[in-house]
Amino acid sequence: MAQAVREINLPVRKDRPKGQGLGVDKIFLTLVLLFLIVPLGATLIFGLSSGNSINFNTFQSVFTDHDFSQTLLLSLGLALASTILAILLITPTAYWVQLRLPRARPLMDFLALVPFAVPAIVMAFGLVEVYGTGNTLINILSFGLVPVLSNEPFNVVNTPQLLVCAYVIISLPFVYRPIDNNLRAINTKVLSEAAYSLGSGWWRTFLTIILPNILPGVISAALLTFSTVMGEFTLASLFSIYTFPIYLNVTGQNDAHKAASLTILSFFLTMIFVLGIILLVRIRPGSRGNEDRLDIVAAK
Amino acid sequence: MQLGAATGKTESVTTPGQSSVKIRRPAGINWSYSIISWLGFVPFLLFCLLFEILPAVMIIQNSFLDSNTGALTSSNYQIMLSHLSYVHAFQTSISLSVVTALIGAFFGFFATYGLYNLRTGWLRNLVISFSSIAANFAGVPLAFAFVSTVGVTGFITVLLLRWFHIDLYNGLNFSLYTFWGLVLVYTYFQLPLMILITLPALSALRPEWREAATNLGASNFIYWRRVALPILLPSLIAATMLLFANSFGAYATAYALAQGSINIVPILIGFVVNGNVSLDPGLGNALAMGMIVVLLIAVSLYTVMLRRVSKWQGR
Repeated sequence: MAQAVREINLPVRKDRPKGQGLGVDKIFLTLVLLFLIVPLGATLIFGLSSGNSINFNTFQSVFTDHDFSQTLLLSLGLALASTILAILLITPTAYWVQLRLPRARPLMDFLALVPFAVPAIVMAFGLVEVYGTGNTLINILSFGLVPVLSNEPFNVVNTPQLLVCAYVIISLPFVYRPIDNNLRAINTKVLSEAAYSLGSGWWRTFLTIILPNILPGVISAALLTFSTVMGEFTLASLFSIYTFPIYLNVTGQNDAHKAASLTILSFFLTMIFVLGIILLVRIRPGSRGNEDRLDIVAAK
Repeated sequence: MQLGAATGKTESVTTPGQSSVKIRRPAGINWSYSIISWLGFVPFLLFCLLFEILPAVMIIQNSFLDSNTGALTSSNYQIMLSHLSYVHAFQTSISLSVVTALIGAFFGFFATYGLYNLRTGWLRNLVISFSSIAANFAGVPLAFAFVSTVGVTGFITVLLLRWFHIDLYNGLNFSLYTFWGLVLVYTYFQLPLMILITLPALSALRPEWREAATNLGASNFIYWRRVALPILLPSLIAATMLLFANSFGAYATAYALAQGSINIVPILIGFVVNGNVSLDPGLGNALAMGMIVVLLIAVSLYTVMLRRVSKWQGR
């Protein structure tokens, strides 16, 4: 439907007479782009310059820093764990809900909307309270799971494990939506019933029939989760876990030039992930261009 | 975006399938079928309960409890509302979010329209890709990018001083570490987000509507005033709400910029979690609860507007 509309769109758009508002919007676009580019350019120059000459000394001192590689590795590990957990948990669930439990869809939509209303800072506070202090109501509501998790041998409060779980929740909105969009775009029900009638089991159908068809959404969700976790500061800071963004903050407060070099580095990291999404997802045949774009929204 | 339409669409798709299932299965097995269906949903539900719902429940519960005695009380809220600095923090947070959301929505909308009118395909794609990157570029690196640009010794600050003899900090009284400095930094992630949200809405305007309006003698202005804007309005309001929520909950950017010297609600909550003794945990819960309430209003408006969008664009 949307595809068809867009195809009609193209020739008409060319014929459209130049209206009076045409000059203004181009000026706005240029201004906005300038606003977005100037800080990046300025940071690059600021990071490369020391005094009057341009050199790469700050980059060198950054790369030889022990904490740099240490925190970067930790962040990479956390990002990988969060991405895998998010995909493993949400993809089968989204398929299951689509196929067998359409009644649960409003609940799913609600759960994916909650992170908008409960920002990371509030969530961190709540998590510390839930797993840091004993509370009867919470113990009952969690079916006794919270006391198990918050005492020996798990002692989950302020651990990287809890951080990973929190990251999965944070990325819920932009993991669930692209996967769900993709599931709706392919004819999930018919494909599954065809596979079942040919003797394929649930997991086999999911892994060999459904998953390859929704792969663009899964890749997009995975890269976005990865990129978000790599840059996440709030939760890590409140859990006192020394990740890359924390290192960035600590180093940057003492040395402005180092901060600039690290900023440029983070920008390139973000760029790699986002370009990865664009290249892997948009170019594939059958991707639905415009509609997926909304999914590229990260948590602040 | 397609929330409302989505539910409608699936219902129509799944109903024939469901009825065929019902015919095949006798009533007795249907029960176990539905129980197994819910069982498959349990792992995810349990995960969300443990790490998403319970923290929110805890905040709600503790905001009504005295943090020392555990007795039921409304004193947390009374303290929050009677202290000028806490009220002021909410005022600052809300005005910061409103201002950046409005700036982002206004400039973002016109920029998106410019992008929509761009004929050059590769340039269009380049701008869209760049917007996706910029929208994801936030937090600590973003704060540092602005410090390097318009901080006290930033590139632009020095450039203006040397070449044009304009002193941003002493002459023009500008500072990156104040309210308007924060507005400048937040706008950086609001603008590309607005572009990404609005472009699909603009692209969904049907050319037939413009043709019909032109045939009936409408000028370009009348078309926008009477046709396009009323149709786009729900999407624009929804987008503005999303921008509002986006900046209202932001903590990392403000923290990295001013290390806590700006009085906004997320920073205050950060103090409570980090064990700042001058702030009572009960008060922190009340502050967090206040944030949730404000965000709930924004998010509800967002979902209501999205329903209207899907109705208009017939998806």
